[in-house]
Amino acid sequence: MQTETWIAITVAAIGTYALRVGPLLWTQRHFNKHKADNTEARLPTWLSVLGPLMIAAMLGASLIPKAPSGASWVATAVGAFVTALVWRKYRSLGLPVFCGVLSFGLAFVLLA
Amino acid sequence: MSRASNNSGLKQGVIDGLPLLGGYIPVAISFGVIAVQAGFSTLEATLISVFIYAGASQFLLVAMVAAGSPLWLAVCMNLLVNVRHVVYGPNLVPYLTQSKAWPYLMHGLTDQIFALAHTRLPQLDDSKKVEWFKGVSMVAWLSWILGTAIGGVAGESLTQQWPVLDSVMPFALPALFLVLLAPKFSNKRWCATLLVTITMALVIALGPFKNAAIPFAALCGALTFYVLTSHIERKQSHAN
Repeated sequence: MQTETWIAITVAAIGTYALRVGPLLWTQRHFNKHKADNTEARLPTWLSVLGPLMIAAMLGASLIPKAPSGASWVATAVGAFVTALVWRKYRSLGLPVFCGVLSFGLAFVLLA
Repeated sequence: MSRASNNSGLKQGVIDGLPLLGGYIPVAISFGVIAVQAGFSTLEATLISVFIYAGASQFLLVAMVAAGSPLWLAVCMNLLVNVRHVVYGPNLVPYLTQSKAWPYLMHGLTDQIFALAHTRLPQLDDSKKVEWFKGVSMVAWLSWILGTAIGGVAGESLTQQWPVLDSVMPFALPALFLVLLAPKFSNKRWCATLLVTITMALVIALGPFKNAAIPFAALCGALTFYVLTSHIERKQSHAN
């Protein structure tokens, strides 16, 4: 690979890291300043609302099957339903995901 | 979701990160295949996964480089796709400890790790938080690197041999997001906001602007939240 391509990849890597770490450091400094002043630091409401919304948006975008078809959409609905159902019963992390993938796979294979 | 168990922080992090494998490995294998097809060696593709470590933007970067696009434009587009990460760190700060390790660990702050950390960190003892984050992010990072290397070496034959697994395993990611989000469906305002956000992301991701789906859907959700909040406040002030 050419040197210029490596430079571009290095800049992209540093930039991506900066996007992850920069806002964290800035917010940590803001929180520490409040701590030193004995005042309570809080995230702005819009920012704390955006956290769960980003997860919801990731959920929406990831619901699209890898190979969209009638069978894969029905399997997605089945998988989501089973995941939610198992979560409601056990309130854990791994088991609902496992059951969701298993039911998605079964529905996908049976319907395809 | 249940409270964190008595496991050590690192072990708990590794366990919590296991569901990510189903989503990460197939996508990383696809990245390895595409990067090699685009003219990168397996080593180069793997190094991209080591250092950039950001799914969609890696695909975009490799595709643009292979298509002969100007490199500055490829870098700008890469950063534009990753700009959504700026809200992740600040949202975690209230749950972080004073450890100096956090800035270094932020290389591992992907979408999925943020989703996990945002739910799990508030439940953990302070003494376990750094180790938990190390465990969960190492599982994710190593699976992404390993998947890319496998994809570069033998990805095409693997996906041809087990096409069903290739289609089924990625469902682990929406299942994981659903579990992480489920406790938030606690009142009408949040239910409506989350449903609007999920639907918007789904609809946008089905169209040509897939990369805009997450930030745009989140903004639509935020707008919904504010409209509903001001409506509720107005109703309460009328009632008083």
